[in-house]
Amino acid sequence: MDLNNRLSGNELQKNLSGQPGFGNFNTQHPQKWEDPSIIDYSMRIEPPFRGFNQVKVGQDGLVNELRPTNKIQEWDPSAMLSSFSFLEQKIHQLRDLVHLIVGRRGQVLGRPDELVTQQQQLITADLTSIIVQLISTAGSLLPYVKSTHSAAPPSMGQFGQLGGAVFPSIPGLNGGIQLQNTSGSKVSNQPNQNDVSANCGSEQNHNNEEHDLKEEEDAEEGENLPPGSYEILQPEKEEILAPHTHFCTICGKGFKRDANLRMHMRGHGDEYKTPAALAKPHKESSSEPTLIKRYSCPCTGCKRNKDHKKFQPLKTILCVKNHYKRTHCDKSYTCSRCNTKRFSVVADLKTHEKHCGKDKWLCSCGTTFSRKDKLFGHIALFQGHTPAIASEETKAQVGPFERREGNQVTNKVGSMNFNFSPNASSESGVQNIMNVKGNIDDPTTYFSPLNFDNLGGFNDFPRPPFDDSESSFGFLLPGSCNYNQKSAADDSNNLA
Amino acid sequence: MKRQKRECSEPSNPFDVLSEEIIFLVLDLLEQNPLDKKAFSLVCKSIYATESKHRKTLRPLRQEFLPAILSRYPYVSHLDLTLCARVSDASLSSISNACPSNLRSIDFSQSRLLSSSGLLGLAVNCKNLVEINLSNGTELKDSAMAAIAEARNLEKLWLARCKSITDMGVGCVAVGCKKLKLLSLKWCLGVGDLGVGLVAVKCKEIRCLDLSYLPITNKCLPSILNLQYLEDLVLEGCFGIDDDSLGGLKHRCKSLKSLDMSSCQNISHSGLSSLISGTEGLQQLTLAYGSPVTAAFADGLKKLSMLQSIKLDGSLITCDGLKSIADWCISLRELSLSKCPGVTDEGLSSVLTKRRDLRKLDITCCRKITDASIAYIANLCNSLTSLKMESCTLISREAFVLIGQQCHSLEELDLTDNEIDDEGLKSISRCSKLSTLKLGICLNITDEGLIHVGRTCSKLKELDLYRSVGITDLGILEVARGCRDLEMINVAYCKEITDASLLLLSKCSHLRTFESRGCPLISSFGLTAIAVGCKQLTKLDIKKCHNIDDNGMLQLAHFSQNLRQINLSYSSVTDVGLLSLASISCLQNITILHLKGLTPNGLAAALLACRGLTKVKLQSAFKWSLPQPIFEHLEARGCIFQWRDKVLQAELDPKCWKLKLEDTEVE
Repeated sequence: MDLNNRLSGNELQKNLSGQPGFGNFNTQHPQKWEDPSIIDYSMRIEPPFRGFNQVKVGQDGLVNELRPTNKIQEWDPSAMLSSFSFLEQKIHQLRDLVHLIVGRRGQVLGRPDELVTQQQQLITADLTSIIVQLISTAGSLLPYVKSTHSAAPPSMGQFGQLGGAVFPSIPGLNGGIQLQNTSGSKVSNQPNQNDVSANCGSEQNHNNEEHDLKEEEDAEEGENLPPGSYEILQPEKEEILAPHTHFCTICGKGFKRDANLRMHMRGHGDEYKTPAALAKPHKESSSEPTLIKRYSCPCTGCKRNKDHKKFQPLKTILCVKNHYKRTHCDKSYTCSRCNTKRFSVVADLKTHEKHCGKDKWLCSCGTTFSRKDKLFGHIALFQGHTPAIASEETKAQVGPFERREGNQVTNKVGSMNFNFSPNASSESGVQNIMNVKGNIDDPTTYFSPLNFDNLGGFNDFPRPPFDDSESSFGFLLPGSCNYNQKSAADDSNNLA
Repeated sequence: MKRQKRECSEPSNPFDVLSEEIIFLVLDLLEQNPLDKKAFSLVCKSIYATESKHRKTLRPLRQEFLPAILSRYPYVSHLDLTLCARVSDASLSSISNACPSNLRSIDFSQSRLLSSSGLLGLAVNCKNLVEINLSNGTELKDSAMAAIAEARNLEKLWLARCKSITDMGVGCVAVGCKKLKLLSLKWCLGVGDLGVGLVAVKCKEIRCLDLSYLPITNKCLPSILNLQYLEDLVLEGCFGIDDDSLGGLKHRCKSLKSLDMSSCQNISHSGLSSLISGTEGLQQLTLAYGSPVTAAFADGLKKLSMLQSIKLDGSLITCDGLKSIADWCISLRELSLSKCPGVTDEGLSSVLTKRRDLRKLDITCCRKITDASIAYIANLCNSLTSLKMESCTLISREAFVLIGQQCHSLEELDLTDNEIDDEGLKSISRCSKLSTLKLGICLNITDEGLIHVGRTCSKLKELDLYRSVGITDLGILEVARGCRDLEMINVAYCKEITDASLLLLSKCSHLRTFESRGCPLISSFGLTAIAVGCKQLTKLDIKKCHNIDDNGMLQLAHFSQNLRQINLSYSSVTDVGLLSLASISCLQNITILHLKGLTPNGLAAALLACRGLTKVKLQSAFKWSLPQPIFEHLEARGCIFQWRDKVLQAELDPKCWKLKLEDTEVE
């Protein structure tokens, strides 16, 4: 999804001469809501939430209705308005500048590159400031979001939706749902912004998805569908392990998501740019009742295999993937911090790495816990286990540990900035980065290296996020929003 | 060689014929004065050896002597180190090496600066250790608790005021000491639900659990109430426990016999009734400083037919509440209503008419009750053994006559700050079982009444005459003659008292506490008599006895070898007298304010010489006139300094003093 947006950004830059018209840029969102996992999720969650979700899935204009229901009233709309006008102004300036460059490029082709790089730098700086302003504007909303929804515990998906709901309210920032409502030309003028917001939105949702799925696989145990009431699909191993499931029929490039493919297709010609082509392939299933789809693991003997006596089906293809990797594949990802924990799913590794090293509650058996009550529960359960008290010598070493904590705090800051980005980014994320980096070679995408690099850095979470990137994001600390995200993640962990 | 042989064959020592058993019996009778046993053991070698075997309890004065005394007394089972302000690792290791098998109980409650490694050695070596008191170990950390957890047979553990320990440390104890029957965590502010919950899960044998002032909530309550043998639960000042949490409790602790929920402000009758609804065997209930006691509240006590004691000190009580208590608590023996606003004649009489078996009644500061209540008490509750009625201001002097006429079983009577006069005192002297009589601030009594008390109350052990200014030597004379078991007497501010009284009181050989604050006529002469006669004197207050000088101190230092606490403020003692006190080896606590003859050098010498000091109250002026290293040295020894900055005050006339007191009360 990232990739698609970024591609679109690149394309926009290609078409920077002011070509209007990729109004229906947002197709991934409807797709996302109808993504089976999300739907399942909403079904599992309490009714009000589902209602909310359904409202969400609905069409244009609902954003306006959404806002009152969300009660995002406490933020200061006038402040936001002023920041928008500032943004608009800035974007216009930048647009003019780019126009100028484009106009001049035709004339002075043979010119030395210094000027070009200078211009690039100038644009990059401007863009950075726009992005910063944009994100801080968006971030200013989030505390209110949090406060209005603090009562709803499994707020992961909800939060994602709210993120979606928040963005549309920002004119010109509509990587999200509302894109049809805004003018195409305006969007095309702000390629990078779109890029960012789309990235943010999509990554966040993507993130949610991952979490949902993780829960799903565990929570599913309760589901008791009578055998035969659903259709069993059993993907092949190769299919499960394939990095891509959607392939371009023209160039053969693979994608993880259909939406990304559709975005990609636009590059192959105008016929792929029509709203109909870009729209999500509509599901007809609502009209004629079809069997529910359930998935089976291709490994015979597995409980998730349809031939097993006590077969328990998997709900979605993503569940199958994760299940297969976790259960039947090597744990090839090792935590870079502790070098002991190994995982077969990258998302699991990322989740672990976030908490690795924070476990300070130690049992005599050597098990560590990040929470004191968990340790005491463990001790209450097992005979002979006792809390391990750090002796005086180890206490002397508290210093470096504290420093490490500090590091983690900076890491957290990193995650804060891109708390729209995955808690645990999947391979697709990594691949996107690679794609993006490939794109940098393209001379027409000059001005985003900073931007992309930043995002790439962010995606790759365990790396110190600010080492190689400008710290332009460093001071955007919507702490509350990070908190929200984090607590939501905790909640989901609890659910699992 | 020949000579030795002859000695062996014909014992020249007459004491050798005494068998060990006989000497044991003699030693059993020498419990009162610790010095007696010492003297007895010095008679001859065999008695010395026998005494070494006999002694089971040791209370060493200094940790330095521990190795020596432990080798002399190998059979000691209880080691009381409360006099040693500091117990070093070396001492701990000598303890753990000397008596690993016999030592069952050890008390560190006044000792600070214990190290965890020392405790670990003790816990590992002394396998039979059953009781450890580590109270006031404010420096103890979780590592010390991990060490204590090695004492697998521990049954009783006191950790009061160990503020530095946390859930982790308590968790170690819970896992390690599975046989715990008593655990006191009072004031362990670092311990919360998790630690307490783990104790309740792991130590199933627990009988007594003191959780006072812990930051615990309802979360640990279910597991506590699940303890099968829990009898005594103290939840005083647990503010985290409230009605809401108690309401949902399903567990009922049937074994509970005593419950203390004092100062739990967040608990009303509904929470309490849900907590105690299943505990039919409850005998003691303490709810001091709690929520108002109404009829609804008392109805919660309906099923507690075994309830014998209710303490509601400081809580607001309605008349209906008292009536309900009278109705429901059929076994009531003890009722404490001190400082309860709302106790009226009507309420109290309803209890008294229905619960005639009442043994103990505390109506201190119940200022609304009148002679009517006293009439009920006197006429209905004849078996009363303890009556405390300090500051019941509405009660007239006639009422006390009634008490003396009817309540002959009284053993303890507190009439502080009442209108009682000689007639009343004469009547009360009929209570021949009286052992404690408090007559402080009774301005209407004189020698005439006290003489009757002295003549008839021969079992009197404690007599408080604080500021009862009508008392002179004549009254004390009778008391000293008649009450030879007297252990405590307070004649503070009875200005007429002279050395003559002290000469007579010196015949009371059991006297332990003597307070003669503000008696200007007392001199060193009288004090010498006390020092010589009362060998067991442990507490002495001679503040504002201006005539007591160094002579008195010299005699005291020579004779009163059991003295632990002394207040010398405003007396005429100088450097010499203070320095002489250093020969009292167990002196721990001294207060020295406004001693005119005291110089910084003398003070420094005295402080350094008194090696057992744990607490010293000094004028803050000395803080600057003495070199700081002295204080550092003393503090390292285990001594605490309290600095006072009081100005010299002129003494008030007693009546004027009481008026002033009343004024401040009105304010």
